Amino acid sequence: MFSPKPPKPTFTSYLSPLQTDAKKYLPVSTKKLEARLLPGEIVVNEANFVRKCIGADSSQDDLWGKLICTNFKVSFVTHDSLPQQRFQCVHRLLGEHDVPLACVEQVVTVNDAKGKQKVLGSNKKLKFNPTELILYCKDFRIVRFRFDEAGPESAKKVCLAIAHYSHPADSQLLFGFEYVGTCFYGSSGEKVNGVDLGKRVQTAMFDSSSDWDREIKRTGASEWRVCAINEEYLVSPSLPEFFVVPSSLADQDLKQYACYFKAQRLPLWCWNHPNGSALVRMSSITEPQQQRKLDQRICSAIIKSHPMRSNVLKTDLDKSLPSIQEIQTALVKLRQICVIEPFVESEEKWLSSMESSRWMEYVRAFLRHAVEVIYMLEGKQSSVILQEEEDRDLSCVIASLVQLMCDPHCRSLAGFQGLVQKEWVMAGHRFLDRCNHLKKNDKEESPLFLLFLNCVWQLMEQYPAAFEFTDMYLTVLSDSMWVPVFSTFLFNCPRQRAEHSRDFALSKSISLGKDKVLQFPPVWDWSQQFSQKDQALFNNPLYVGKSAPCVHNGTVRTFTHRRSKKNYSSTLRGLPSDLKNGGLAVLDTLPRRNSLMPRLRTDVAQANERQESPAERFLQDWLSRPADLHGLLLPQLLPSHLPLWKLYFLRWVPEARIPNGGPITTFHKLSVLVDEIEILQNQLRQYTGGATPARSPSSPQDEPSKMYFRAGLSPSESPAPPEYLSSSFPFSPMGNLCRRGVLGTPLSKFLNGARIWLSTETLANENL
Amino acid sequence: MASAPAPLPGYISSPLENSSSQNASRESLKMEPLADVALLPGEERVIDKDLIYMCPFNGALKGKVFITNYRLYFKSTDSEVTVTLDVPLGVISRIEKMGGASSRGENSYGLDITCKDMRNLRFALKQEGHSRRDIFGELFKYAFPLSHGLPLFSYLSQEKFEENGWAVYKPMDEYRRQGLPNERWRISFINSGYDLCDTYPTILVVPFQTPDEDLRRVATFRSRCRIPVLSWIHREKQAVIMRCSQPLVGMSGKRNKDDERYLEVIREANNTPKLTIYDARPNVNAVANKATGGGYEGEDAYQNAELVFLDIHNIHVMRESLKKLKDIVYPNVEESHWLSSLESTHWLEHIKLVLSGAIQVADKVCSGSSVVVHCSDGWDRTAQLTSLAMLMLDSYYRTLRGFQVLIEKEWISFGHKFASRIGHGDKNHADQDRSPIFLQFIDCVWQMTKQFPTAFEFNEHFLITVLDHLYSCRFGTFLYNCETIRENLKVRSKTVSLWSLINSDVSSYVNPFYTHESSRVLYPVASMRHLELWVNYYIRWNPRIRHQQSPVEQRYKELLALRDQYLKKLEELQLSDSSPSSTHLTNSSTPNAASPNQHLTHLQTPF
Repeated sequence: MFSPKPPKPTFTSYLSPLQTDAKKYLPVSTKKLEARLLPGEIVVNEANFVRKCIGADSSQDDLWGKLICTNFKVSFVTHDSLPQQRFQCVHRLLGEHDVPLACVEQVVTVNDAKGKQKVLGSNKKLKFNPTELILYCKDFRIVRFRFDEAGPESAKKVCLAIAHYSHPADSQLLFGFEYVGTCFYGSSGEKVNGVDLGKRVQTAMFDSSSDWDREIKRTGASEWRVCAINEEYLVSPSLPEFFVVPSSLADQDLKQYACYFKAQRLPLWCWNHPNGSALVRMSSITEPQQQRKLDQRICSAIIKSHPMRSNVLKTDLDKSLPSIQEIQTALVKLRQICVIEPFVESEEKWLSSMESSRWMEYVRAFLRHAVEVIYMLEGKQSSVILQEEEDRDLSCVIASLVQLMCDPHCRSLAGFQGLVQKEWVMAGHRFLDRCNHLKKNDKEESPLFLLFLNCVWQLMEQYPAAFEFTDMYLTVLSDSMWVPVFSTFLFNCPRQRAEHSRDFALSKSISLGKDKVLQFPPVWDWSQQFSQKDQALFNNPLYVGKSAPCVHNGTVRTFTHRRSKKNYSSTLRGLPSDLKNGGLAVLDTLPRRNSLMPRLRTDVAQANERQESPAERFLQDWLSRPADLHGLLLPQLLPSHLPLWKLYFLRWVPEARIPNGGPITTFHKLSVLVDEIEILQNQLRQYTGGATPARSPSSPQDEPSKMYFRAGLSPSESPAPPEYLSSSFPFSPMGNLCRRGVLGTPLSKFLNGARIWLSTETLANENL
Repeated sequence: MASAPAPLPGYISSPLENSSSQNASRESLKMEPLADVALLPGEERVIDKDLIYMCPFNGALKGKVFITNYRLYFKSTDSEVTVTLDVPLGVISRIEKMGGASSRGENSYGLDITCKDMRNLRFALKQEGHSRRDIFGELFKYAFPLSHGLPLFSYLSQEKFEENGWAVYKPMDEYRRQGLPNERWRISFINSGYDLCDTYPTILVVPFQTPDEDLRRVATFRSRCRIPVLSWIHREKQAVIMRCSQPLVGMSGKRNKDDERYLEVIREANNTPKLTIYDARPNVNAVANKATGGGYEGEDAYQNAELVFLDIHNIHVMRESLKKLKDIVYPNVEESHWLSSLESTHWLEHIKLVLSGAIQVADKVCSGSSVVVHCSDGWDRTAQLTSLAMLMLDSYYRTLRGFQVLIEKEWISFGHKFASRIGHGDKNHADQDRSPIFLQFIDCVWQMTKQFPTAFEFNEHFLITVLDHLYSCRFGTFLYNCETIRENLKVRSKTVSLWSLINSDVSSYVNPFYTHESSRVLYPVASMRHLELWVNYYIRWNPRIRHQQSPVEQRYKELLALRDQYLKKLEELQLSDSSPSSTHLTNSSTPNAASPNQHLTHLQTPF
């Protein structure tokens, strides 16, 4: 941080070549620089002699190169290398300085001589020649280019091109279509790179009835069945082709009910608690006259599917959680505080600004609501219906958080990916609209998925050994939303994916062969983006995993809840009367046919008003006992115990970077140790005759280590942490956060002295 | 092999209060309720009483309280959740009677106890027959022994430890470690009888060129004769950290040629172009001090020096800040506006200023320039700054032993007024001299350990233990204001050092992630983005928070144990392998052969 920067070649210095370092001698022209293009990618426009700004207060580290706009990305190619940067996660689709167009939030052009500034949209005119281009990115980066030496016309053109191409007119202009079309399907119609993606990815996609069958078996939901009435999307446009319903509901009934639900979205089964309670999500019923009858039918069917015929409780998410617009507003404010406002000025009011963004409050609200649902499932042993008007936003977050907390399977990498697939992609979360890939309707944009990942991160912080993956994984997953080639984040629902890719194939005369649709790779095919070695950063060395599979012939006891049978509140006073005798009490209040309606109250809304709700007591009681990492995990909800996700939100902020510090330094040590243990295990196995029943026969003897950081040659000499580690690792703020007009480094700030806020009190009290 | 550690991280309850839900039968409770707490050697029972503990979390709990000359121990008797309290009397700052004989309302008559460690205790008694009179009297007497002519418990303790903690710090050894004396710096014994400065230690390091007579003249110009002396020297660059008190400039702007020459000699010792004087105070405070004879080094008088104010506030501001912090964390965490409430306490902002001050000092020294650090008297903010800067610069102080040396040297021997700041055994809870300066320092250290989790040999548990015994009066380490008094009261011979306890069994205080890096300078990022409230200390009494010793640390220890098992196993196998007779006898059903995979499932490691 304080080491003097080595002298770097500047533009002037290479015009008059007095450089002593021959390697740093640069060609006068940057014209020979070429963009690295992917299949289907074409160059739209480019400008030479562009300077990428690196330091905020001086231009001495700036890089010279060519700025290129393609149909996929804004690319900056240069011969220069970044100062002090010795590490970067290599992205297979993007170069070091590239920004995908889908990641561009705002394109701002500046002419500082004229003092003009303009935000460029699609097909906008630009009346001045820009001297500077600033790209505000969705992943919180701010990238700045200067055109001082570039031709004014070419600078203007490239800016307009970037603005235009980052606002695609329709979704088929998103790069993924060209890419997948060219990459996987040649013009002859043969699959070129025809890898069967399903086999490469060990994640349940939930696009087939067999995936759902397995999930039913895994969770022991024996009274539930896979329903195929939506094949070819004949019933509902936004539901998947296959979903799970109570066994007692016949296809014929479902078809009849469908029209009364918003967008024909019938209730979807999500998951079964080991006690038999089910988690179900449902949209609102559009016909008021049908409401009562339909509610009753659905509920009695769900009750029939419960082994104890337990109650059904409904929670209205729209009433108890912030709206998607409020969540979007919170993120915009958070971005303002984290990366746009000058570092020093925002220090003073950092905590209260954080509070006023409300982001952390929302994270807490979602976690809390998930706990309340779990209380109903586990404490009250009731099935729960998550109701949301469209059932495509808030329910995705709650449904997946509930499963993450209850079901250890969801904390494995494959399980987590399956969970996202099940509750987000297949359930029809509008990724296309919420990501606002087409930048058409800002009101639809909302970072629900990021909010979910932030909630997951909080759980990981509190239970660091319970998850197979790391926070780097979560960050990279979030960033992948802005790489528009993955099926996961490109569409609003499975049907849209099918239609759009079919239309595209038709228009480009791609013969799909036996595939019904163009096969976009899911984001879970991580080899699309990262090498096997870099993917090792996803593996949590702390993970206390289960080696045994979770399915035991579909019985309920698939994973253990050590305390699920014990009445949680028996040790506390003031417990609700119906719970005094523990689980059996629920049986006593088995609903009679006609007394069902009053039970369908929105329990959660009421609970919030009381001093300490039963759900809170449930949480407190759970927290007072040791946690079982293979069982239920509930989060501590006190705001003092919910910190900011620093890796995600502060990774680009150079002033906040801790060189050679941060949690990554313990991660490094842990990885090395785990790698050492792995090596020892292999050596031990060799002694025991080489038979390795634990591993699948197909895996080679020396399969790559799961750890990114490897052990040294001998246990005595443990490798030193690499110099490039920092709290931003594996990301680098270098050149990725270039705020305008921000002067000063942290040190110069200290030298200015901090502001005094108590001076009169101080004067009176000074130690005499 | 059979003793494979449990796969789950161990959860420890907070050290001084335990909640357990064991269904211990009533009989066993009645038999000997104090049996489950081992009294310390020298600890004696004083009084016990049936009363009600007004637990802020679980409500009124009937039970029995036991008072010894060291602690207050409470155990509930009628609840299914057994609540115990184990509070050293030293942490008590104030005891008040609550309600009177005629007070109405349930449990309105009793005692209200304020503690120095972020909690309060409230006990209710029966209103009949002055039931609280005796317990109040005894508690008051033993909680504040010095106000009653009684000795502190550390003088009564008969504890014995393998290690002698008093041997940890030997000033000559420490200066020799730093490479002192050398041709520019000498050891002076001018203060061997404490007649130069009664709040300094006997051994001082001063410029080689300055004779003792000059030091005496300098002393006349420094508040409480606390002259600039060397705290630390940079081995390669010979840049030094000097500490002192403010110059006695006064309203008239007095000058002192000896003081000016003295600082010039310090500057010349390693040819620092400009000596930097860090005045820890805000500028206005330094100016205000002129009114009482103090002040700061003027530009005219000290031409080769530059003066930098570090804007750190005084002991009163810090005391009030911590008070506000307590209000928002105890008994309940302020939930609705947590962040802005935390901001309004300014606690983290003070931490930030102290840390960034220390960063500047360290950075300056690292660049080869010598510095002088002072505040008003040079025993509060100055100690914070020099010790934190030394912690950043010198990896030795980041070891378990080195950190003890640092505290002994910069805090204890240089006269941080522990007795006044903490008020050991003293009933004057409202004393304006009390202030959490040392706590603030430990908080800064904790912040550094958070940012550099592999750089410190000690862990969070160690820091909390230090803070617990800052108040407990079980050890002599933090007693009294300066060495003169300690010598008079024979602290070293009559009491036990805290480091005796720690160093006799270091295993629970050691950070398993510690990586020794001798030459690394640590610069923490003193930004609100990284400073966090130390919840495991400040919010530890709340039973709603799971008290767990860092799960990451626990898991790492388990994995280390696993590795060692495997290494041992491998060694055994290699040995047996080399003896030809056993080579082919191994078969898959022997326990040896099956062991790797067994451990795999047993320890549930991620493979």
